[in-house]
Amino acid sequence: MPNGGSNSAAAVWAVLRKECRSEWRTLYGLSAALLFAVTSLTAVSMAAGRLADRTDILAGLFWIVLLFATLTSMSHAFVREVEGHTMLLLRLIASPTEIAMGKLLFNLIFLGVVELVLVPLFMILMGAPAPPWGPFLAVLALGTVSLAASSTLVSAVIAQTRGRGALFGGISLPLLLPVLAAAVNGTRELWGGHPIASSLRLLAAYAVALLAASLLLYDHLWED
Amino acid sequence: MIWRITLFLWIAAAMTFGLLKAPLVPVLEETTRVLYFHIPSAWVTVVALGWSMLHSILYLWKRDLRNDDHAAAAAELGLLFCIAATVSGALWAKAMWGAYWNWDPRETSIFFILLLYSAYLALRGSIEGDEKRARLSAIYSVVAFVAVPFLIFVVPRMYDTLHPNLIVREGGRMKVEMDPMIRWCFLAMLAGFTVLFFWLQTLRVRVTRLERRRQLARG
Amino acid sequence: MSTAAVAVGVLRLAGDGVTHRYGARLALQPVSFEAGSPGAVAITGENGSGKSTLLRILIGLLRPTGGSTVLEVGGDVFEPRRRRQVTGLATPELSFYEEFSAAENLLFAAETRGVSDPRGAVRDALEAVQLNPRADDRVGEFSSGMKQRLRLAFAILHRPAVLMLDEPGSHLDDAGRAVVATLVQTYSERGLVLIATNDPQEMTLAQRRIELRGRGLGSPA
Repeated sequence: MPNGGSNSAAAVWAVLRKECRSEWRTLYGLSAALLFAVTSLTAVSMAAGRLADRTDILAGLFWIVLLFATLTSMSHAFVREVEGHTMLLLRLIASPTEIAMGKLLFNLIFLGVVELVLVPLFMILMGAPAPPWGPFLAVLALGTVSLAASSTLVSAVIAQTRGRGALFGGISLPLLLPVLAAAVNGTRELWGGHPIASSLRLLAAYAVALLAASLLLYDHLWED
Repeated sequence: MIWRITLFLWIAAAMTFGLLKAPLVPVLEETTRVLYFHIPSAWVTVVALGWSMLHSILYLWKRDLRNDDHAAAAAELGLLFCIAATVSGALWAKAMWGAYWNWDPRETSIFFILLLYSAYLALRGSIEGDEKRARLSAIYSVVAFVAVPFLIFVVPRMYDTLHPNLIVREGGRMKVEMDPMIRWCFLAMLAGFTVLFFWLQTLRVRVTRLERRRQLARG
Repeated sequence: MSTAAVAVGVLRLAGDGVTHRYGARLALQPVSFEAGSPGAVAITGENGSGKSTLLRILIGLLRPTGGSTVLEVGGDVFEPRRRRQVTGLATPELSFYEEFSAAENLLFAAETRGVSDPRGAVRDALEAVQLNPRADDRVGEFSSGMKQRLRLAFAILHRPAVLMLDEPGSHLDDAGRAVVATLVQTYSERGLVLIATNDPQEMTLAQRRIELRGRGLGSPA
């Protein structure tokens, strides 16, 4: 018999594997996100042209494209369970925290895959100079953690409202604006060859705060 | 009744003195006077949002809908005072900087707070069932408040701002050069606005409860 | 974990003035009852009397707006949030991942629940509901009767002490109804079975009855 009310890593792992397998079978989320990323990149690059010498603008465009490409698919994390009526199944076999942690880990992997395609594509299409990769990946990673943490939680909340997907952008963007501000600032600084320690600190602190709040709140996500 | 009249007279008096009698701060000149309105509004915004988050946590802990009434009312009022602070700030910016809006870090953060709590209220509006609404919006409120200290304290300190820091200096001491008259008017307004907020808060909570009782009686 | 035939020990499931309302609408009139193992209890009542709501409260999915429930298994008291570990629920509201096969769905459930031998448990459960020939077919291709059998298999996957069946016979043919009868038989010998139903034949599977209606309390017959 499984022990107590405590959460088990095995359950989180099982949920994560289920997510990966489901995504692999259907490719709903990934194809949508990649398509969205490529289209919005094309639109931006056609509208703005090559901006190799304007890294300050590139930094902003990069994060906006990333945010929009991923937000649409992030919102589906739980909406899909609700629309497929599988939320009940999940809730019967795992605690809210286990479910949400599994989804959070999946969202992190998902974002990583999208970024793997999006980053080189952005550099090529926009003619961006190669950034210093270490700091760049640090900013990207911290921004990604905040993005995944906030959208996992918001998606779980949104899935239980009347509007479901429709509200997602409006509700999660305000939470992400501090991340966006710090990430854009950090990216701009590293492209300009400036130190980015303060941006990194802010991003890290925000990511940690979001994760900590999430872990405390997950338990209250489902009760009816 | 009596203390409501007192509150009215108190704010009116502080405002009158502030607008007509108190001296002006060099550089700011006539725009000094917005301070009696702008800073108390911003202060009440933070108090209200903190109050809202506190009751959100209490709700998640105790599952008492009365806490949710407080959380919702405080968020509404917080938004109202936030708008007041934003508008008065924009008017001041027009006079001082020549434009209503410059995306100065202070402006940016207050705008983010405006968005956060509009989102909170939009979320409330889209959930059916009192318990569910209370629980889910409490969750959002707690996460949203995670962003608030970053917006109020961290971001404006990180980036260059032109926003004057009249009141608090390093270490939180009052600036010595502040004229006593300005300080008293300002503190009186601060106290007046705070009391005003809590009075409006009790009113709003009572209205919510009456509405719920009527609904229950009908159902 | 032992086989289904071994009794789970002392089991007590009780409700005291349990009630639930959605806003102004009363979904479940206050009900009090007490049940134990071994045995099967039918929960009856007209549509909208709150049968499914009561099951959701008992299994810990829904926090009631009033009253309290207790579940004690083998001297261990299970708080609502831990109840899913020792209870199994089959309800028409339960859906599966259509892109997965029946076996994959159950394997996911068994692994997440932490069942000791997931593959064995899946095999046994599918066998019990006679779905094993279709184990590797995608749920998306299942008929409604096969989905109902899969729900039953899902409910017994972890050999729960309390088995809750909400309208178990819906969509089932005669062979399927026989499966339900066998399951009720087996699980009421080792633990407790709750059957929410208005079907007279299903009611006969139970020895006792809790009737939800009017303003009255549940009256164990």
